[in-house]
Amino acid sequence: MFNALQGWLSIFLWDWLAILMTLVLQVVIVVLPIMIAVAFLTLAERKVIGFMQVRMGPNRVGPNGILQPFADALKLIMKEFVRPQQSNLYLFIIAPVLALAPVVAAWAVIPFGEGAVVSDINVGVMYVLAVSSIVVYGVIIAGWASNSKYAFLGALRASAQKVSYEIAMGFALVTVLMVAGSMNLTEIVHGQQGGFWNWYWIPLLPMLAVYFISGLAETNRTPFDVVEGEAEIVAGFHVEYSSMGFGVFMLAEYAMMVLISFMTAIMFLGGWYSPFENIPVLDPLTAWIPGFIWLFLKVAFLLFLFLWFRATFPRYRYDQLMRLGWKVLIPLTIVWVFVVGVMHYFSIGPWFN
Amino acid sequence: MTFEQLIFYILAAIAVISSLMMISVNNPVKAALWLVLAFIATAGVWITAQAEFLGIVLILVYAGAVMVLFLFVVMMLDINLVKLKEGFIRYLPIGVLAALGIFALMYMVLGPNNFGMDVTGEPVRFDANHSNTTMIGLALYTVHVYAFILAAVLLLVGIVAAIALTIRRRPPHEVKYQNIDKQVKTQARDRFEMIKMQPVKEKPVENKKEEDE
Amino acid sequence: MVALSDYLIFSAILFTLSMAGIFLNRKNVIILLMSIELMLLAVNTNLVAFSYFLNDISGQIFVFFILTVAAAEAAIGLAIIVLVFRNRKSINVDDLGSLKG
Repeated sequence: MFNALQGWLSIFLWDWLAILMTLVLQVVIVVLPIMIAVAFLTLAERKVIGFMQVRMGPNRVGPNGILQPFADALKLIMKEFVRPQQSNLYLFIIAPVLALAPVVAAWAVIPFGEGAVVSDINVGVMYVLAVSSIVVYGVIIAGWASNSKYAFLGALRASAQKVSYEIAMGFALVTVLMVAGSMNLTEIVHGQQGGFWNWYWIPLLPMLAVYFISGLAETNRTPFDVVEGEAEIVAGFHVEYSSMGFGVFMLAEYAMMVLISFMTAIMFLGGWYSPFENIPVLDPLTAWIPGFIWLFLKVAFLLFLFLWFRATFPRYRYDQLMRLGWKVLIPLTIVWVFVVGVMHYFSIGPWFN
Repeated sequence: MTFEQLIFYILAAIAVISSLMMISVNNPVKAALWLVLAFIATAGVWITAQAEFLGIVLILVYAGAVMVLFLFVVMMLDINLVKLKEGFIRYLPIGVLAALGIFALMYMVLGPNNFGMDVTGEPVRFDANHSNTTMIGLALYTVHVYAFILAAVLLLVGIVAAIALTIRRRPPHEVKYQNIDKQVKTQARDRFEMIKMQPVKEKPVENKKEEDE
Repeated sequence: MVALSDYLIFSAILFTLSMAGIFLNRKNVIILLMSIELMLLAVNTNLVAFSYFLNDISGQIFVFFILTVAAAEAAIGLAIIVLVFRNRKSINVDDLGSLKG
């Protein structure tokens, strides 16, 4: 479809302009729904935590508070953008952009269904890993440019935490690559065809846990939110940000949550495949449901886990957090790389053949 | 100009400008950030040369890890910036002269006369299904496998050396270390001990009243 | 289509810039280290370009190993800088001449 559009455009435009316009259109089609999803994720978070704490959550704006995210966004936009006098002007302004842009860029390789992906590249997993490792700079620059002690401490904590947990995350992905034999995300999903027992969460159950825990740490969510531990360092690296600067940091955090959930669903939970494949009665009954609905359901469940953890767990202490990352998760992943190698050698189960 | 050339020149211009900024700004933190930009743009240039795996590894390893380490060190050190920058103007002429001279020499060798498109011919273009990663993996795990193992050992030595150099064990009266294994293994009987002892009958306080009066 | 000479000149510019960086910032160890990283990057670009035009994967293997060595070098170099700063409270190259005869 997009190739046809590009061919049609290049009849009366320059070649490169036609390519660029088609690309921009594809990007808008992917990014806009994600931003809306992020907006409603904030509402869902407040509602879910509200119900867990036996209260209603936001219910004033619109029916059942459904318009609350727009009210929040409007409020943030209307506020004044305060810049500390001693801060570094350009870096202070560019930091939120640097936090959000890589997260959005990572969506280029995420497949939403059979063939529904902006760029179906061979190194999809590596791309997501590389792009999400750039997010650290937004945090570091924000902390440094604010010229504030709290922001700086928060930035140091955040970047050390992100860099440490990226290793565990990368190793967890290595095991997925070993099982799937490909770094293309579509291929990884194809490898999980045929019922939920074919998904990679069974041979890689510890890796699913490691990946999700690392994801929690990457996004600075509870129980790993020492970065913005309000008891110690106020609000961490974005303490000096007001108005939409703060809003963009929040957007980046929630978009990262959605991204991690999508990656988990794609790599461990069978992507867009129905869990009832090859089950006698249920499969024909649910065959009419399109694939992306299943994917979104899995993602919604994982996002619910994010919110659930936030409502349940107390915050880790910083040294305990580092210990968990370096001394528990990374050795576990390295051991599991060997386990997967052995399973691969003996062609165990429906996953290795 | 094709789309590919446009992308190449934009990325190359970004890389060159940011490396120019890196050597000329006076704050090391800004220099590190410019270097990150140069790395990312160069990774793009590599990807135009069909080295997708290495381009992404460059971003992952350099921009994602090594430069973060640099930034950490630079931000943590309390450096006297003025003193470090002195001599910049003094060495500027000779630096620029030497750079220009070497670039002129390089241009004579590497310029379009020797390595232009009509001399080298067109490179082989792979289709979209060609996997650069598979090619590298095949070469790495067969022909270069000993070098690969050596590189792994080198990285291990790097980790050990970096930790051994910078570790600073402070005596226990300054810092309290937590022994988590011990904490986890603790059971109720370690904390709570039943002691058999004779009941002690406290003497009533007698002086109390006198003091009050 | 981008010619090989374009890649080579691009890497030559990066190389000369990093060399100029070493000339100009000779007081600051950290910028010296960063210039060396940039220099390695220029060399790597050369290898990638030749690997592309000769259709030989060996160039990329070289780049892979150079990246490995450079990462280890950066880690140990920074560790040494931290140690130097801890002992001398300065990272000025001129202050490190105490072993000079």
